[in-house]
Amino acid sequence: MDRWTPEKKLELEEAAYQIRRLSIEMITYARWGHPGGSLSMADILAVLYFQVMDTDPQNPKWEARDRLILSKAHTSPALYAALALKGFYPLEKIYTYCEPDGLEGHTDMTRTAGIESSGGPLGMGLSVAVGCACGLRLKENPRSRVFCLLGDGELNEGNVWEAAMSAAHFHLDNLIAVVDYNKVMAKGFVWELMGIEPLVDKWAAFGWDVLEVDGHDLEALTETFYRARWTQPRGKPIVVIAHTVKGRGIEMAEFNYKWHTHAPEPEIADAMLRTLSRRYSRPELGYSKLGDEREKESFYGGE
Amino acid sequence: MAENSPARSLEMRDVFGQMLVQLGQEYHRMLVLDADLHTSSKAGYFKAAYPDRFLQIGIAEQNLFGISAGLALEGFIPFPCTFAAFATRRALDQVAISICYPGLNVKIPGSYVGLPTSQAGTSHNCIEDVSVMRSLPNMRIADPGDNADMRAIMRAAIETDGPVYFRVTRYTFPDLFGADHRFEWGKGEVLRPGNDVTLFGTGMMTAFCMKAAELLDNEGVNAEVIHLASIKPIDRELIASSAGKTGCAVTAENATIVGGFGSAVAEALAETVPIPLARIGVRDRFVTSGGIGDLFRIHGMLPEDIAKASQTVLAQKHRRKA
Repeated sequence: MDRWTPEKKLELEEAAYQIRRLSIEMITYARWGHPGGSLSMADILAVLYFQVMDTDPQNPKWEARDRLILSKAHTSPALYAALALKGFYPLEKIYTYCEPDGLEGHTDMTRTAGIESSGGPLGMGLSVAVGCACGLRLKENPRSRVFCLLGDGELNEGNVWEAAMSAAHFHLDNLIAVVDYNKVMAKGFVWELMGIEPLVDKWAAFGWDVLEVDGHDLEALTETFYRARWTQPRGKPIVVIAHTVKGRGIEMAEFNYKWHTHAPEPEIADAMLRTLSRRYSRPELGYSKLGDEREKESFYGGE
Repeated sequence: MAENSPARSLEMRDVFGQMLVQLGQEYHRMLVLDADLHTSSKAGYFKAAYPDRFLQIGIAEQNLFGISAGLALEGFIPFPCTFAAFATRRALDQVAISICYPGLNVKIPGSYVGLPTSQAGTSHNCIEDVSVMRSLPNMRIADPGDNADMRAIMRAAIETDGPVYFRVTRYTFPDLFGADHRFEWGKGEVLRPGNDVTLFGTGMMTAFCMKAAELLDNEGVNAEVIHLASIKPIDRELIASSAGKTGCAVTAENATIVGGFGSAVAEALAETVPIPLARIGVRDRFVTSGGIGDLFRIHGMLPEDIAKASQTVLAQKHRRKA
């Protein structure tokens, strides 16, 4: 893992910016997707893929790689963007999002390089990650790590806590769960729909080592993941609770559940991306497909 | 005295447990996972033989199947062992999306199926497992007809890449096949050739079909008996060719007739050689506690019921011709 340097900071900032930008591009072009949760985990993915995790885009199934299971699979656009930026496939592929032979709406491991599991229904990913972590142990691979990215709302699901209980039981300190704690679910705030606090105490009571971090602070994320990846493991699974903002980077989407599942109209996307580029002090850049005459039927426009 | 008495046949679940051990010896990447039922499912044989490849997950079936998916991703061949009721009802989403959708190499034995499940009753007498699993793409399904069939199916399951569901009935089966029996996906087997009516059986009901054929023989009816252990894929060619010959048929399954084996045969017939058909099985109701004999009587699933249904479809066939 590289050291933290000013150059590294610029590289991670650029990755996070591009993950946000490409997420909005693909959701807008597909006219379907989940912008809020894609934006909230952009910094997490930037640090994981460009700083922490060992992966090889030329050899996606490299045995010694670190694995990432996306349990909140509805936010696949951000992961597809990160994988494209990392070189797993050409950037242009993002415009196949939600096409029959393209990038699947939720994750499909059989169709996309770098996607480690198939998912969609919430609450299921941590069990799969526990299985991978057990498998690494059985294969006597002590170095690889399994990261599992969870949403906060999905912690309502019982399956998550079955998995949490078993990970501690099996002493899986090669497993790192990351909670994208963006405080907002599909239809409102977590605390009002089904509260999950006290979250640190819950994970600790289930036998996990708990680390908390500002999920938009690239340096803090790097430091926390470095600790989780290298120096923390002591016979307990590790959870990183990353405090984030749903929709981070685009004002109209921030903390706004209406942008949980909602594809922006091209003109709105254009405005969003211009806002985003200003936030990152980049040259103002709008939606690249504005004016594209593509006619496509959409069943999900209003949800 | 004891050594002179005939050896009691093994219950199918014991054959299952012993075969797990045999396959475990041959396949070092095979794992057995349990959700606190290994003495009932008989996965305990494997636990005793290979404790390092036996994972106790506790009473958490959704986690059981999720973990199995993860282990398969890492190249292992997991056998998550639990009752069919929990594999199909409790963990269906995990089975469907984490395992079937990516076609992962997980072998799912469903224990305690149909009527013979001791006295456990409605919650444990799983009658809908085949119907549920049959609706999942990528899933292969088999219901063995005797102990040799069970061994052959388990071997085929581990030799076939991808998800497999097979039934383990808590019952002592009469032998239908010899030790050299082979099982092939999508292939049925004619156990008794005949011309008047076809009896399509799967699982334990094939033996009942053989008995029904004897009863029918006494009534001057020459029944053909076909064993279809492979429910998905199913042998459409054999179903159609036998139907073309006999002109009427009865299916028999140790499960609900809604969406399962009888439905699969009915679909194949409707699309190839439509003929009068009757289905023997649980008729859209839950199965309560009860002795095995009583339950088979209550649900009309005895050889006598198969023979009676055969006479009904024979009459329909003759009316059609007249």
